[in-house]
Amino acid sequence: MSVIRIRKGHDLNILGVPEKKLQHLQRPVRLELCPLDFRGIKPKLLVREGERVKAGGAVYRDKGRPDILFTSPASGTISSIAYGERRTITGITIDLDKSDIFEDFRVSDADHSDPSSIRSLLLKSGLWPVIRQRPFSGIADPDVSPKAVFVPAMPTAPFAPDIFMQLDGKDRAFQSGLTLLARLTGSPVHLVIDEKNSSPLFTGAEDVILHRFSGPHPAGNVGIHIHHIAPIRHRDDHVWYVLPQDVARIGAFFLTGRLPVTKVMTVGGEAVEQRQYLGFMQGSLIGDILEGNPVSEPARIISGDVLTGTRRDLQKPIGFYDEVVSVIPEKTGRDFIGWLSPGMRKYSVTNLFLSRLFPSGSFSLDTGLNGSERVMIPFGNIESVLPIDIIPTWLIKMIIARDIDEMEKLGIYECDPEDFALCSFVDASKMEIVDIIRDGLDYIEKNG
Amino acid sequence: MSVLRSLLDRAEPHFSKGGRFSRFGALYEIVDTFLYTPGTVTPGAPHVRDAVDMKRSMFTVIIALLPALLFGIYNTGYQADPGAGLLQNMQTGFVAVMPLIAISYIVGGLWEVLFGIVRRHDVNEGFLVTGLLLPLTLPAGIPLWMVALGISFGVVIGKEVTGGTGYNIFNPALVARAFLFFAYPSEMSGDAVWSMADELTRATPLAVASSVSGADGVYLLKEAGYTLQQLVIGRFPGSIGETSKVAVLLGAIVLLVTRIGSWRIMTGGLLGMTAASLIANAMAPSFDNPSLYLTPVHHLLMGSFAFGLVFMATDPVSAAQTDRGRWIYGILIGSLIVMIRVLNQAFPEGVMLSILLANAFSPMIDYFVLRQNIARRQKAYARQ
Repeated sequence: MSVIRIRKGHDLNILGVPEKKLQHLQRPVRLELCPLDFRGIKPKLLVREGERVKAGGAVYRDKGRPDILFTSPASGTISSIAYGERRTITGITIDLDKSDIFEDFRVSDADHSDPSSIRSLLLKSGLWPVIRQRPFSGIADPDVSPKAVFVPAMPTAPFAPDIFMQLDGKDRAFQSGLTLLARLTGSPVHLVIDEKNSSPLFTGAEDVILHRFSGPHPAGNVGIHIHHIAPIRHRDDHVWYVLPQDVARIGAFFLTGRLPVTKVMTVGGEAVEQRQYLGFMQGSLIGDILEGNPVSEPARIISGDVLTGTRRDLQKPIGFYDEVVSVIPEKTGRDFIGWLSPGMRKYSVTNLFLSRLFPSGSFSLDTGLNGSERVMIPFGNIESVLPIDIIPTWLIKMIIARDIDEMEKLGIYECDPEDFALCSFVDASKMEIVDIIRDGLDYIEKNG
Repeated sequence: MSVLRSLLDRAEPHFSKGGRFSRFGALYEIVDTFLYTPGTVTPGAPHVRDAVDMKRSMFTVIIALLPALLFGIYNTGYQADPGAGLLQNMQTGFVAVMPLIAISYIVGGLWEVLFGIVRRHDVNEGFLVTGLLLPLTLPAGIPLWMVALGISFGVVIGKEVTGGTGYNIFNPALVARAFLFFAYPSEMSGDAVWSMADELTRATPLAVASSVSGADGVYLLKEAGYTLQQLVIGRFPGSIGETSKVAVLLGAIVLLVTRIGSWRIMTGGLLGMTAASLIANAMAPSFDNPSLYLTPVHHLLMGSFAFGLVFMATDPVSAAQTDRGRWIYGILIGSLIVMIRVLNQAFPEGVMLSILLANAFSPMIDYFVLRQNIARRQKAYARQ
């Protein structure tokens, strides 16, 4: 099997990499479900404040596609429902019981091989949303049959959890999850692993097509895999993707009949004391995740990695798809004539600072923008970290010009904001390229 | 330091939106971010950013230009009085060159700030490069008012009317130089302009090489005392920054190592020039044009080929903006330079015109590269 080598990209050499030791969080007293984690759904509540739910019991559904249910990870009482602007539901808080009463989904052996029962069980259990769909990265449409399913099993993002730590002891569940995905869709399941991965769990995986990638981040991003294996041709050309942990959860659900709700995540970053692996329950509050783990203020707490995550405070839950909580120092103060400094300690992908000549360990990176916003000057920085055959500067221009026809021709359906995170990172003009790409995708989804 | 900071912080509300001097926000931004790195934090993902910014990038170009500037100062003094010592030469050159640069920065800077205020945008650091590039392409003896006029034309017509920094079609410094070249030809070309002292007038290598019809350009150069070694070192008349190839090479190394200048454009330019001059060499015996004999090495070392290719052609805005496009753009410039130098007897030097012409073509080059990219994507889709 040939290896697809990614050459463009960059692995951030940043302080605060989590140590490979796993701890399990205690059962939290409270969880929160956040409908804003999902792109393009309109939540319709199925419970009222004060009502009780079981582990796996439905809490809300999508108005547009009512088959898609969102369930509670544990049993408890709905304690409050928070609304934002224009009465959008921003959070549903559940006070947990001491122990769980599980919703019984009555999974029979016959269900393992019938696509329509796999589908309906996944929908009913609330596991369906772990399957996402490109273009647009929303929850997979149950009425669509995708041309391929991707399982990206080689995370390269900063602080991303190691794939073996995540799947440790879940071999059987992972394999049956892969098989179920293949049966569910009837399409090829592409399992993408690192060049050096020789674990039989992956190399011996059945019902999949195995691919190997190598190279710097974003080599592990599913968008890069899709681009090289089964590029998205137009807006109705669907590809699904599921993270490996969620594949194992699908498998475990069919093996046990209970909704599996714990996952393995990492806590990383310079501004947090213990950087480690954590077993946690879906919907845990970040405050609980960082319990007893001092944060040196001022710091920014991010659900997700430093390149693509979202800023959250301690009272909010970790994002549905996120497997990392990053805590990095918030920038304060200003440096005197910083542009003139030789830059021994400045972190840069470019060769403009002396730090490139004397590489010395990991770097401290804070939230500073490190410059002022300027017009686009194409030095070629952006292109040097985007390993797909798309010309980013033109795509950006066409998005700003709202030219749908050109956006399509330039391949916007293959794009996802996360693949452009490094482009924002290296841009000397400090443009918010990630936001522009997201904006373009939103626009074309509505108007294309 | 903190006194300065607090002074700026106190002034800030007056210059921001709603303040008394909000119109002059661009002015405040220049002073503020010149003195202190901006304190802005990232609004969202990615939450960390590279240390690179426009100030650093443009400042690196200035560093790359320093060797050419220093040698230019020395050479100006040397051309005035070759007998005087190094220090004496530097001093004479400094007195002659510095006013040109000062005027270029002051007048050009005024225009930049004026446009920044009227059109309410921040002033881009790219001007620091334009303001230094123009004087380096001029003869040292040019009157100051011409520099002022030239940089005004370059900034206003070459840049601001076509949308300002980032949108300009032509390299502003070259537009300024072209304006001066065509408006005041007697001050910009010919044998007399290059030296400060009239009795030391000497023809430039390019003028020499095309001077006698029916002869061999290489022979003519030798006859006039221009050896390759001299052409490399650069102690001969020419525009301030262009003569020393050693200095230009140092600048090229800085630009290439930092990747601020495109290696594709530079390599493309060398390739285009080599190919075109080899073709010219092949045609040489059949015609009586002496310049046809000039080898690629001569073309590389004569005139402003090296300076133009390293510092002018690589301007990222007016050049082609796709990687493939940069190759084509570079090759186009290299071959056009030879074509103009050799075939058009009215212009012994073709660098400025070639780059401006390639600037005009670069949107079209990019257009074809884009269509090619789109076609390739369609093909890949069809294969699935």
